[in-house]
Amino acid sequence: MVNAIIMPKLNQSEDDCIIVKWRVKPGDKVKKNEILFEIETEKAVLEVESFYDGTLLKIVVPEGVATPVNATVAWVGEPGEKVPDVAPPPPAAAAPIPAPVAPAATKTQTAAAAPVAAVAVTAPVPFPSAAAPAPARRQAVSPRARALARNSAVSTDSIRGTGPGGRVVEKDVRAYLDSKGYGQLRITPAAKALALREKVDILTVRGTGDSGRIMTGDIERSLRERPRALSKMRQIIAQRLTQSVVTAPHFFVTVPVDMTDLLKFRHVLKTRGAPFSVTDFVLESVALSLVEFPAMNSSTDGKTARWHSAVHLGMATSLEDGLVVPVIRNAQDLSLAELHAAVVALAGKARDGKLLPDEMTGSTFTVSNMGMLNIENFTAIINPGESGILAVSSTVQTPVVRDGRIVVREVMKITLSSDHRLIDGAVAARFVNAIKSKLEDINLWKSLT
Amino acid sequence: MEKFDLIVIGAGPGGYPAAIRAAQLGASVAIVEREVPGGTCLNWGCIPTKTLIASAEFADQFRHAETLGFKAAAPQIDYPALIRRKNEVVAQLSGGVASLLKANGVKWFHGTASFLTRNQINVANGSINTVLEAAHTIIATGSTSTMPGFLPRHSRVVESRSFLDLTRLPASVIILGGGVIGCEFACLLARLGVQVTLVEMLSDILLILDEDVRRELRQVFEKKLKIRILTGAPLTDITASDEGVSGKAGDQTVSAELMLVAIGRRPVTAELNLAGIGIQTTPAGHIPVDAQGRTRAATVFAVGDVNGGPQFAHAATRQGVIIAENLFAKSRTAFDSLVPSCIFTDPEVGCVGLTEAQAKEQNRAIKVGKFTFAHLGKALASGHPGGFVKWIADAATDRLLGAQAVGSHATELIAEATLAIRGEYTAQELGRTIHSHPTLSEAWMEAAHALHGTCVHAPPRRS
Repeated sequence: MVNAIIMPKLNQSEDDCIIVKWRVKPGDKVKKNEILFEIETEKAVLEVESFYDGTLLKIVVPEGVATPVNATVAWVGEPGEKVPDVAPPPPAAAAPIPAPVAPAATKTQTAAAAPVAAVAVTAPVPFPSAAAPAPARRQAVSPRARALARNSAVSTDSIRGTGPGGRVVEKDVRAYLDSKGYGQLRITPAAKALALREKVDILTVRGTGDSGRIMTGDIERSLRERPRALSKMRQIIAQRLTQSVVTAPHFFVTVPVDMTDLLKFRHVLKTRGAPFSVTDFVLESVALSLVEFPAMNSSTDGKTARWHSAVHLGMATSLEDGLVVPVIRNAQDLSLAELHAAVVALAGKARDGKLLPDEMTGSTFTVSNMGMLNIENFTAIINPGESGILAVSSTVQTPVVRDGRIVVREVMKITLSSDHRLIDGAVAARFVNAIKSKLEDINLWKSLT
Repeated sequence: MEKFDLIVIGAGPGGYPAAIRAAQLGASVAIVEREVPGGTCLNWGCIPTKTLIASAEFADQFRHAETLGFKAAAPQIDYPALIRRKNEVVAQLSGGVASLLKANGVKWFHGTASFLTRNQINVANGSINTVLEAAHTIIATGSTSTMPGFLPRHSRVVESRSFLDLTRLPASVIILGGGVIGCEFACLLARLGVQVTLVEMLSDILLILDEDVRRELRQVFEKKLKIRILTGAPLTDITASDEGVSGKAGDQTVSAELMLVAIGRRPVTAELNLAGIGIQTTPAGHIPVDAQGRTRAATVFAVGDVNGGPQFAHAATRQGVIIAENLFAKSRTAFDSLVPSCIFTDPEVGCVGLTEAQAKEQNRAIKVGKFTFAHLGKALASGHPGGFVKWIADAATDRLLGAQAVGSHATELIAEATLAIRGEYTAQELGRTIHSHPTLSEAWMEAAHALHGTCVHAPPRRS
């Protein structure tokens, strides 16, 4: 029997996905649980498995086309079976069409998440198309003009056409080349060959050879300077953080935390075989403080405010080219040891690109620790939907006045960013001082360890 | 105290062109030299050896006269006459350099230079000390042959400079070192009828060249010139006496009348007092410079062998001219990276740019086009059918990246390849350029076609 393979719905916020790679081709035998294709969602590249044994009869949706969820992307059945005549779904952000498929197909599974993932979200956000804006109009160019421009390694974009309807004709290209001094342009044969191959407009390249001659190195430099598409992850980061900055009025409160005693105690713990990190202490202090200040553990859409009963702590984690925010669920219920274990496990998964979508969503408050990066202080941008984020900086030996005397202490600055729609200055000040006093209260840590 | 815009230390191929170019650009220039104009190249290197090689080549042709269709008795070599001719050529050129310097108004100071400060230089000539002041200084003191301590100090163990002063040709010689100098001397002497043993510690001679070129060379060295080549083991147990020299290379025993040491050259900096002006030399003794020849001391530059760049007279000359122009024509040119090398062995070798071995090391996708002289009319007609030329081009853009030639006149032929590579020609365009027939340079055109598999004068390449 012929079964439809459909585009799975992986996330409430997503209406369409792109198949980035088909792992099988028509005629291939496929097994249940065998990976059929990879899709790119807003957060991750995921592998999609087959739920059927059989032969891949037809691919309906090719690679690279945005396809609504639940649409049929391929058919699996017995060799020679006739495939229902279903047109491929209209691509891109069209409204999702009802799935013309058997209910069984909804069981299509997702496999382990591949590396990419980005800033966690709690509320669905409209996401603009990643594609560049369409050119304003298609320029009409005669074939002869196009060939001349191509062989001269120039672009026709800025040539004004004088042909019928503004069409660019050969004469226009010649006039353009003359006006730009193309005849005087000096370029080495190899540089021209490279420019032709890579479609570099040599009128835009500055030559560094003898008497300004354009050399291969100049073309290579211009290639390196070409705009490159942001990775999906960076696009998400750009979109989310811009949205946060634009919609949430941020304000910042900084306090210095005296870590001297806690660091000493940490050393003691370490010798006892309990290797807690500064991050662990900070996260524990934040979790405890959030319970005391439920307003800081809330979210808003600008009209309503919602307090969360559980503390789901996001920890911003940097990757090679981007960042992810794995989430420690119900942090308020975890012992320090359990918290430590969760941090280690999630950080490892983040590094290896093994985080599942669930592990990257649903945080209610986020901590960004740049302590290991040797900085005095910084401010973080709130993860969209949350009411605050805590920026943790490096611990630095600092002269501090104590009992009228200057002493050297280990000082770590923490800066709270708050969404002023929900949080006022006084609350932020009390909250950040609640964290500070916990970190400085050595008896608290003795009781927690 | 006399003041100059530029003082050049050393009147070799790095120094004197810099001095003349700076003077042409209106600078007041002094040049300090403790020996004679022209430096190593002109007096004890390139020029004297090429003079002797020309004679050796002639003797060799004479020896193979019957292949060209005439009978001649074996040549009698009058070595003192060869040396006289060499001395005449050197004297003429050295005098030429002196008069060029004078004609351009460059002031000559004879003596040994050392820095008192960055801008003050003492010239010691015997007991007379003269202090000069300079806005800028170019160090062009060159290099000298290395004679490591493990070698016996004996009149039968010589380096290249003192060898050239010998007036009697030894019957047999051990050459220590299979680099350019060692190989050139090996071929020169073998062609003059000397029994030559060449000892190289590394796995092969002339390792800077691609393997196919080396194979071609060794073939001629060993088969035609009867040079005994021992590689892969250092020369040990070296003894020298009035009877001769001997040693062991691996399990082979070698002995000869004379040993010529050619295992490298070290930069000459000892008397300059570089430390006094804040310049630290590298462990090998070189003066570190940037891409424009600037040292750590702001007004002091270094060119040629002393800066650790390519050890060629032509590289030093170009560097000297670049610095003079950067200083006095306010240009900002960097030293060239494309430096051809010529080896005057039998057969000759010319090499420029990327080698196949380097491309492989860099993991670079290349195409290679080769053409052998055996397929070329002129090469056969002139009785020199050995060797080949080859191009190395970028696989993606067809840009010519490197070339090697081995065979008759290879050192002349490499000039065209250098020009084409510097001008970033593609193999296709080189192939489309008409080369006159019948000439040896046609080989470049044919090799460029061969690179695309469109060569008319060679059988299709087996894949």
